[in-house]
Amino acid sequence: MKSLLRVKKGLGRVLSVAGALGLATILSGCGAAGEDDVIVLRVANWEEYIDEGDWDEEEAVEFSDGTVICPEKPLYEDFEDWYYETYGQRVQVEYSTFGTNEELYNQLTIGDVYDIACPSEYMIMKMLREGMLTPYSQEFRDPEKEENYYVKGVSPYIAQVYETLSIDGLSVNDYAAGYMWGTLGIVYNPEEVTAEQANSWSILLDEDLSRRITIKDSVRDAYFSAVSICYRDVIMSQGFQESDSYGDMLYEVLNRTDQETVDRVQAILSDIKDNVYSFETDAGKADMVTGKVIANQQWSGDAVYTMDQAEEDDFELCYAVPEESTNLWFDGWVLLTEGLSEDARKQQAAEAFVNYLSMPESAVRNMTYIGYTSVISGGEDDKVFEFVENTYSADPEEEDEEDLVEYDISYFFGEDRDAVLLTTEDQTRRQLFAQYPSEDVVRRSAVMACFDKEGNERINRMWTNVRCFTLKKWVQKTFK
Amino acid sequence: MKYRFSRKQLAIPYAIFLFLFVILPLLVVIYYAFTNSEGKLSFTNYVGFFRSGEMLGTLLYSTVIAVLTTVICLLIAYPTAFILAKAKMRSSEALLLLFVLPMWINFTLRITALKEILTLFEGNLAKYQFFNTILCMVYDFLPFMILPLYNTLTKLDDSYIEAAEDLGAKKSHVFLKVILPLSVPGIVSGVTMVFLPSMTNYVVLDMIYNSTYIMGSLIGSYFSAYDWNNGSVISIILLIIICVITAISNRYTEKDTDERGNNLK
Repeated sequence: MKSLLRVKKGLGRVLSVAGALGLATILSGCGAAGEDDVIVLRVANWEEYIDEGDWDEEEAVEFSDGTVICPEKPLYEDFEDWYYETYGQRVQVEYSTFGTNEELYNQLTIGDVYDIACPSEYMIMKMLREGMLTPYSQEFRDPEKEENYYVKGVSPYIAQVYETLSIDGLSVNDYAAGYMWGTLGIVYNPEEVTAEQANSWSILLDEDLSRRITIKDSVRDAYFSAVSICYRDVIMSQGFQESDSYGDMLYEVLNRTDQETVDRVQAILSDIKDNVYSFETDAGKADMVTGKVIANQQWSGDAVYTMDQAEEDDFELCYAVPEESTNLWFDGWVLLTEGLSEDARKQQAAEAFVNYLSMPESAVRNMTYIGYTSVISGGEDDKVFEFVENTYSADPEEEDEEDLVEYDISYFFGEDRDAVLLTTEDQTRRQLFAQYPSEDVVRRSAVMACFDKEGNERINRMWTNVRCFTLKKWVQKTFK
Repeated sequence: MKYRFSRKQLAIPYAIFLFLFVILPLLVVIYYAFTNSEGKLSFTNYVGFFRSGEMLGTLLYSTVIAVLTTVICLLIAYPTAFILAKAKMRSSEALLLLFVLPMWINFTLRITALKEILTLFEGNLAKYQFFNTILCMVYDFLPFMILPLYNTLTKLDDSYIEAAEDLGAKKSHVFLKVILPLSVPGIVSGVTMVFLPSMTNYVVLDMIYNSTYIMGSLIGSYFSAYDWNNGSVISIILLIIICVITAISNRYTEKDTDERGNNLK
């Protein structure tokens, strides 16, 4: 994988405005359509979360059917051209970014208006509960239509997860279309940390790694890891693991927010605080590469980025998903009722935007550029799988036969396709594993739901308490 | 014909600024601080603050950081400012420049640089969180202590010192009875410039891997969890502390100019 290109966000915005101005000139020039006829689509996405174009020639991706991808323009600008060619209608994308789900939510409640946005699953559920979302249309779900790349291309695995999620009787599947997905795990330096240590969330309490491991400065991620430690004995018991309703039970345990659980989590996180290097918002990746820390709680996409960076500095980092469970997360596109304001043309353009991003070529572009994994498997189109194969397959003639393993990701690409990669053994602990976790990881993953108001308040209070200074604890620690 | 601005007119730009960015936000903060999430008048958040061991712990922790920072700054800045003020004209200005120079560079950049230097010495920054916090705070705020002290000490009339010496005061007495009392206004303004900001300067803690909250981080964390009410409560508590300290320090400075100054004259 090539590393992230750091393109100035502002530049993208300037370009799109410049593009819009150019467009307006053309339109007024030919006089066929007025400026009113341009649909303006206001898109809100995460920072660094879409292909911004401007690739070098050596970065080009080539496919067996002759297609070459080497984009110059950002994906959302290419969408404007594609939309005009396909539907004969001008659309102008106003692209803006946000840093956290809470920031997006705050922007929306303060009065910023967007037509389509890309929050994470729990925020999608929160918005759904608060009636902020418009469902996708029937046409969008029709697999017969040629332009419906999303329904045709979405991975059967992701589609199934979406179908199981609902809140207040509303199905997430009706209101959201997936974009990127991944797991929560541990990036570690194999020379200092064993795979065994990284195989449990207890690593965060491991005194061998005292002040040399970091955790994300995020309530939800910290909570998930701590709950996993808290109920480790329950989860790892044979009866639990072999139960028929293992998935449901896991979901229930990891989404507990009762006072007793929260109190226990507070004690665990408090100990974690005394053991970790820091609660990091963004420094973890760099600290891993510079060697300040030797393990780091991380999202899979950032893990890929960190491992790529380390490779450039000629050393190896690995990614592990603890055996207790992992937080299965996915960001998805939602249509915002306030922005669309029942404008059918706008909704159609927004849905087309999702479809354009779901084209196999777009998925490959994004994955190359940002390192996260697209929810698109491509359906009957081979390009996504071909891309994964080209990136991770090992050549049996070049590698030691003992190092080669078969890696099955057909859960993601669908049973019709023989999605088994022949790859080197170390890739099963590295980028490939982070991008497409193995089937057993998928089995032990759980979605972290949107907590109810009381639960949320309890957890936020707990988090503040963990971070605050307590005289009692200080006295105990100092004079023990 | 030249148009002359009256004093009132000259004050208009700042008055607008003051209203929009100081008074209006303050009113909003006051509104949120005395209501609950339903928008009804409520004091429960204050009760919650003063009943919670964690909140009081944070207040204590921030105060300890602020006091230590201020005292250390004062101990370093006073002799420095004294030497600068009493040095020969040319060299003193160059020296002063050296001390004020860091102020022109953004503090996050300075802390980033300091962080690397500290890593070099300490190896693992997280093992010395508290020490590093104080060190970075002092580094950050030292110029704010030196400047007001320097200004006061340069204005100090040498004839007072000479008079004291002529009348047979020992060096230590000259300092304690003449110089120190006369520099109280400088000390007071230096202390207010350092003490309060260091209670809320949580970016420094974030940057050097101290994960414990201070008052500033508390406000930030409440606001990012959309808890406007609790965030405003903390702000108001800080505001009260500011008011108390300013009131006390004003009394000191007034006393100083009115009584001591007159006595000496």
